[in-house]
Amino acid sequence: MRRLLTVFVFCISSFLFVSSCDLTEYNPGGITSETVYTTPEGFESLVNAAYSYSRWWYGKEEGWAAGEMGTDLWTSGAGDENPNFTRYESLQPNANVVGVFWEQFYSAINLCNAGINRIGESGMSEELQTTRLAELRFLRAFYYWHIVEMWGGVHFTTDETEGIQVNANKSSVETFYNQIFEDLDFAVNNLPVTTSDIGRVTKPAAEAFLARMYLTRGMDQEAFNMADKVINDYSFGLVENYDDLWEMDNLRNEEVIWVVNYSEDLALNDQEDDILFPEGHGRGGHNGHLHFFMTYDQVSGMDRDIENGRPFNRYMPTQFLLDLYQDDIDSRYDGSFKSVWYSNAPSEVEGMAEGDTAIYATKYEVSEEFREDAVYTIYDRSDIYESDGSIVQRTKYPSLDKFADPTRPSISEMRSSRDAFVIRLAEMYLIAAEAQFNRGNNTEAANYINVIRERAAKPGNEAAMRVTAADIDLDFILDERARELAGEQLRWFDLKRTGTLLERTREYNPEAGANIQDHHVLRPIPQSQIDAVQNKDEFTQNAGYQ
Amino acid sequence: MVVRKIATIGCFLFGVLMVAMTPHQVLGQTVTGEVIDAQSQETLPGVNIIVKGTSIGTSSDAEGGFSLKVPSLSDTLVFTFIGYQRLEVPLQGQSSLDVSLTPETIAGDEVVVIGYGAVQKSDLTGSVSSISAEEVTKVPTTNVAEALQGKVSGMDITRGSGEAGSGVNITVRGNRSLTASNSPLVIVDGIQYGGGLEDINPADIESIEVLKDASSTAIYGSRGANGVILISTKKAEAQGTQVSIESYAGISKTLDYPDFNTGPEYVTQKREANRVSGDWSGPEDDPNIFTSSELENIENNVWTNFRDLLFQTGIQQSHQINVSRGTENNSMYLSVNYFDEKGILEMDQLKRYTARLNVDQQVGEALTVGMNSQITYYDRDRRRDPTNIANKINPLTRAYDENGDLIVRPHSGRDISPLADTQPNAYENNTLTTKIFPTLYAELDFAENLSLRTNISATLSNSRQGIYRDSETIDRNGTAPEAVYNSSNSRNITFENILSYEGDWDQHSLALTGVTSYQFNKNDLGSALGQNQLLASQLYYGLLNATEGIAVESGYEESSLMSYAGRANYSFKDRYLLTLTGRFDGSSKLSEENRWAFFPSAAAAWRISEEDFIGDDSIVSNLKLRASYGVSGNDAISPYSTQSALRRIPFSYGEDSAPGFTFSPTLGNPNLEWEISKTANLGLDVGLLNDRVTATIDVYDTRTSNLLLDRFLPLSSGVSSVTQNVGKTRNRGIEFALETTNILKDDFSWTSNLTFFSNKEEIVELVSDGDDIGNGWFIGEPTSVFYDYEKTGIWQQDEADAAASFGQEPGEIKVRDQNGDGEITASDDRVILGSPRPKWSGGIENSINYKGFDLSVYVYARIGQMMDYEYYDNYKPGGVENGANVDYWTPDNPTNAFPRPNAALSQDNYQYYSTLSYESGSFVKIRNATLGYTLPPSLMESMPVRNIRLYVTGKNLYTFAKVDNYDPERGGALSFPMTRLFVTGINIDF
Repeated sequence: MRRLLTVFVFCISSFLFVSSCDLTEYNPGGITSETVYTTPEGFESLVNAAYSYSRWWYGKEEGWAAGEMGTDLWTSGAGDENPNFTRYESLQPNANVVGVFWEQFYSAINLCNAGINRIGESGMSEELQTTRLAELRFLRAFYYWHIVEMWGGVHFTTDETEGIQVNANKSSVETFYNQIFEDLDFAVNNLPVTTSDIGRVTKPAAEAFLARMYLTRGMDQEAFNMADKVINDYSFGLVENYDDLWEMDNLRNEEVIWVVNYSEDLALNDQEDDILFPEGHGRGGHNGHLHFFMTYDQVSGMDRDIENGRPFNRYMPTQFLLDLYQDDIDSRYDGSFKSVWYSNAPSEVEGMAEGDTAIYATKYEVSEEFREDAVYTIYDRSDIYESDGSIVQRTKYPSLDKFADPTRPSISEMRSSRDAFVIRLAEMYLIAAEAQFNRGNNTEAANYINVIRERAAKPGNEAAMRVTAADIDLDFILDERARELAGEQLRWFDLKRTGTLLERTREYNPEAGANIQDHHVLRPIPQSQIDAVQNKDEFTQNAGYQ
Repeated sequence: MVVRKIATIGCFLFGVLMVAMTPHQVLGQTVTGEVIDAQSQETLPGVNIIVKGTSIGTSSDAEGGFSLKVPSLSDTLVFTFIGYQRLEVPLQGQSSLDVSLTPETIAGDEVVVIGYGAVQKSDLTGSVSSISAEEVTKVPTTNVAEALQGKVSGMDITRGSGEAGSGVNITVRGNRSLTASNSPLVIVDGIQYGGGLEDINPADIESIEVLKDASSTAIYGSRGANGVILISTKKAEAQGTQVSIESYAGISKTLDYPDFNTGPEYVTQKREANRVSGDWSGPEDDPNIFTSSELENIENNVWTNFRDLLFQTGIQQSHQINVSRGTENNSMYLSVNYFDEKGILEMDQLKRYTARLNVDQQVGEALTVGMNSQITYYDRDRRRDPTNIANKINPLTRAYDENGDLIVRPHSGRDISPLADTQPNAYENNTLTTKIFPTLYAELDFAENLSLRTNISATLSNSRQGIYRDSETIDRNGTAPEAVYNSSNSRNITFENILSYEGDWDQHSLALTGVTSYQFNKNDLGSALGQNQLLASQLYYGLLNATEGIAVESGYEESSLMSYAGRANYSFKDRYLLTLTGRFDGSSKLSEENRWAFFPSAAAAWRISEEDFIGDDSIVSNLKLRASYGVSGNDAISPYSTQSALRRIPFSYGEDSAPGFTFSPTLGNPNLEWEISKTANLGLDVGLLNDRVTATIDVYDTRTSNLLLDRFLPLSSGVSSVTQNVGKTRNRGIEFALETTNILKDDFSWTSNLTFFSNKEEIVELVSDGDDIGNGWFIGEPTSVFYDYEKTGIWQQDEADAAASFGQEPGEIKVRDQNGDGEITASDDRVILGSPRPKWSGGIENSINYKGFDLSVYVYARIGQMMDYEYYDNYKPGGVENGANVDYWTPDNPTNAFPRPNAALSQDNYQYYSTLSYESGSFVKIRNATLGYTLPPSLMESMPVRNIRLYVTGKNLYTFAKVDNYDPERGGALSFPMTRLFVTGINIDF
């Protein structure tokens, strides 16, 4: 008996002896860059991921806040969550929007750098390597453009981050643009002309973006050449009817040069999800249908429905924007804004039938007689704006409906499958025109602008829409850009490029204009970045922010 | 590496040592006698009797008699029996002797369970609190920890919420870690329990010990850094078979809930908000701001208080039978329990079934084997919190239509009813969990005073969670129905060997304990998700029938810990006590180089009352001074924190899935090492008047360094954080416990019990040379604080000019310009307003026994903490949604409480809105009151029943707090409010 027990004790002690060696971590579920990025399939996943960061800006609320708001065109609806961008109300380094983009764009840069430097180990064919490298270099240029325009000369690197990095550098704006042009040259020379993968960048897309970059840097001849090349060398064309550009069944139209893709299969999009994408965006998909609509559902005769959308009431147009359109001849007013809502709950209003007008929101004054005769609710110019353009109320107004999506499966669904148009052909005409204007060729500029305006003309008004060299000045070009591109996440860049951000915002947007300061041409660097860097003396906040 | 080598060699020698032991046996004279209980004078069967220094022994028979052959009549016999004090009797030539054993429960000589052993309370050198079975079951609780609230000085315990089966927040002596866990270690019957305290049936608990200072916890090394809760479950008592039945049942109700606007109040506020925005100047403008159906409801005074429709009366019940049997060579305890808590919201229910079997079997003379096993099965239904919808929905609607059916989408489809989830087949969130906790042990007394115990224990846990949310539920709110199926399977295995030696010579006594321990934890996870399935009735059982959004994920996690520990307890003349402990720990979660660490501690105690200068007739019956210092560690971070991983991003080109893999935002840190806490503790135990008054006071100072910290990195590097050993914290505190027997007569007694605990928690050093505002960490402040502008009131009309200088208007929130520079900036004008950590907490309990009646009332206080009160955050100034019924500013009501409503602004556009919600969270509550009656023994004589006790208990009877209608123990949140519970119960012992 005793002996058996001692043997037993010896055995368990020996077991312990053996097991003492085993404190290594077994992690079959985890994967590392060494195992994934060294196979062709794995490297493809890196490229896919590099594209995905563009979804944080295009089609997202934060993207509108940073790309359109705080300009001459927009002000806050009652639901605005970023008045610090829309109206420069206390724009501080802790602003959510700057935090989101700083994190996502630098993550994207790090990944692009990793891919560009590691592509040799990918095991891909030479040919495919060249294409993917060109895509990654395009994306790096694309993300660096957002970074340098938002924050100016901040952290720049072409190396992948290795280990704990607690310092950041301040590089000049020139450093950024030198790299942007170098990367885009490579992309333009090595990308294929077309792709069957919707959302992948192509040679004309890289050229179109390069045209935008040339224009931004004042390289007008190059900008014109590049824009003109995109217009002439490929099969892009303007969609005949401006309104049709925005139809959900016409997303893959001939005018589109490059999109950020969103899928109808919502699981392929970017919404935060415990299983699919824990670090995803809070809403996912294209959200433009949410932000611009007024609260029509609080008006008698209207219930919230899929057709009319889920109104977040974030942003409303300035009076200036609405007044830019000559809507009797220009189809882009009706093509961009919704003014009439048709009743879907007529029982709430005596004398109203299904499909009758329930709400009319207009930039014009409406007479008392007209008002008295109407069964429906009217919001006219003075119901919305004071004479100086400041705001009477923020819940009822003509609403941008370019991004409406009546194909969503339910009223509440926030994820639209609408692709976000990043570059479309109309912009190339506007770039060409602006470049020509900058070079003193107003006639040429008018010619390019007239292409856009003729397309926009209501039938029979083409001649009335045409302009001449005498009409062309910078304000006109910017006004035309507003009419054509309102809401397309470009306005802030346009005003910044033309040096008119402060002046036009002050002149045309009483609210943002009252608050905008010289330093607002750059965004504040997130406080978390300032707090986290160790070289605090070197890496300092942008001027004007605390 | 060297450490590991030494440990391995030590372990090997340990094995060799075992083999070297050789048995011996010599026979001589026979001794006979009888063993009785010193108090009841009844005979005791099954008492172990051993000849000291040998392995010769027997146990008493059914009548308490024994007969034993001893080598010599000059030997000493050792009598041991569970629940009784050990007794040594020198034979001194007698061959016949009668022995009486004293039960262990006599005050002052309690046996206290410590890590890997037990000691007389008088021999303790560390800071340990004990709670008896009676205390544990006095208040009906789901989670044992609730029974400890305020009873253990040094522990801060709050219930998470009023949800059925809600968790409990526990910290021992404050928070040391900023990122790693601060939860104490739970040991059940000597083995680390891998589940939660809520798995343990309170009625099975014999005693709970809480180890607080570093010396007491040192034997647990790294695992003890946050304190250790030792739970001993019940064993058979001495006499034969016992059967007990314990049942209670009762009802729970919400404590009052703070007021939200009624229909008319909502209308008034909305009009005011629109007056300010220029949309309303009189009732004739109502059509501009209300829909026609709302107007109709206003006219007919139709509105709904949805919250009243949500809450129901909860039911809580527990039923338990236990059987225990002790015989000569074995003891057995068997219990089954059914616990059912039905929450105050429909579909919020926890059912728990537990069974426990504890068996100890004497095999031969020197070997005892046994198994403590527990099975816990949960069936839990959870409800998505509906109160936030109920609180914000526009009240101007009916809840039910004319047929009595719920209006799922009131306000013409704009809103979802807070009651939507209760519709048939709309919502289910059910978790089934099975936890099995078997502990096997073998204990061999193989030489004089030397024993070896081997424990093998497992915590096996399986659970599955199924969620189905139909389209018209709060979560889905009109989007596609969704079903989720989550499963997990975890194995937590512990294997330990404990070698113990006890020796006495002259006035010295020495106890040595050596421990080797290996444990691992492995966990498999699976999740699946699908949307828009064909039939709602399939719930989460047919995910492949989902037509979209099908997603699956599986995962695995493991960690292991290996340890070698030793402890020496030395005492001289029963009054000078010394404990030395050391433990090597190796953790798989840390870097290979820094995996092993040594955690030493030392403690000394002086029993002054044993000294001659304190005479036997002194009023001082006990006086002991204790001091300890020790080091412990913490590795409570996620496994794999040393590795850099990739993460997946869903992506597509067109409709073609093209998932991406990118760098995880958390960087792996290959250099992670132990977080180290060094604690000094000074304690004094006092007993006066024959221990009618006892008091314990402890002061301590814990300095934690090498904090395992999730450190934010500059995001320009493309990664956002890394777990790193940086920073220091310090916790200092004082604990005090006083127990007095105020009156002690034959049929009347009154005892009082008071505890007090105060802890100062502060951050001493951070990686960012100074404060880390981003993380909310400030040097010299607790690890969690409220940092914001300081609201001083509302700008009044006569202050219009001053307001304008800050760009504000009357009616807006006024905050303090801290640096007086005439502008309010984030960098200069935000200050630390308070902390959720209490300044002190304590409790006082009075118990009165009169004849068969017993009454106890317990009052608990937690003072000095601040809370972020969600109710104030629910003031909806825009008037679009309904909100809290607060005192808001208007020109006619110049209050300083809440700003002026304005329909043109959303809540987010109100400047300094967040400053509204900071509020004192201090409270004093009548935690429980119990009245019981034990039937007189005379009634029992004719029945096969030994004892019957009937009782009624009320829990959370009344709370005193600064805010009305709210229990701040909830911490500020509005969901699942705390409940008040009344139960009646009966205990029967056969």
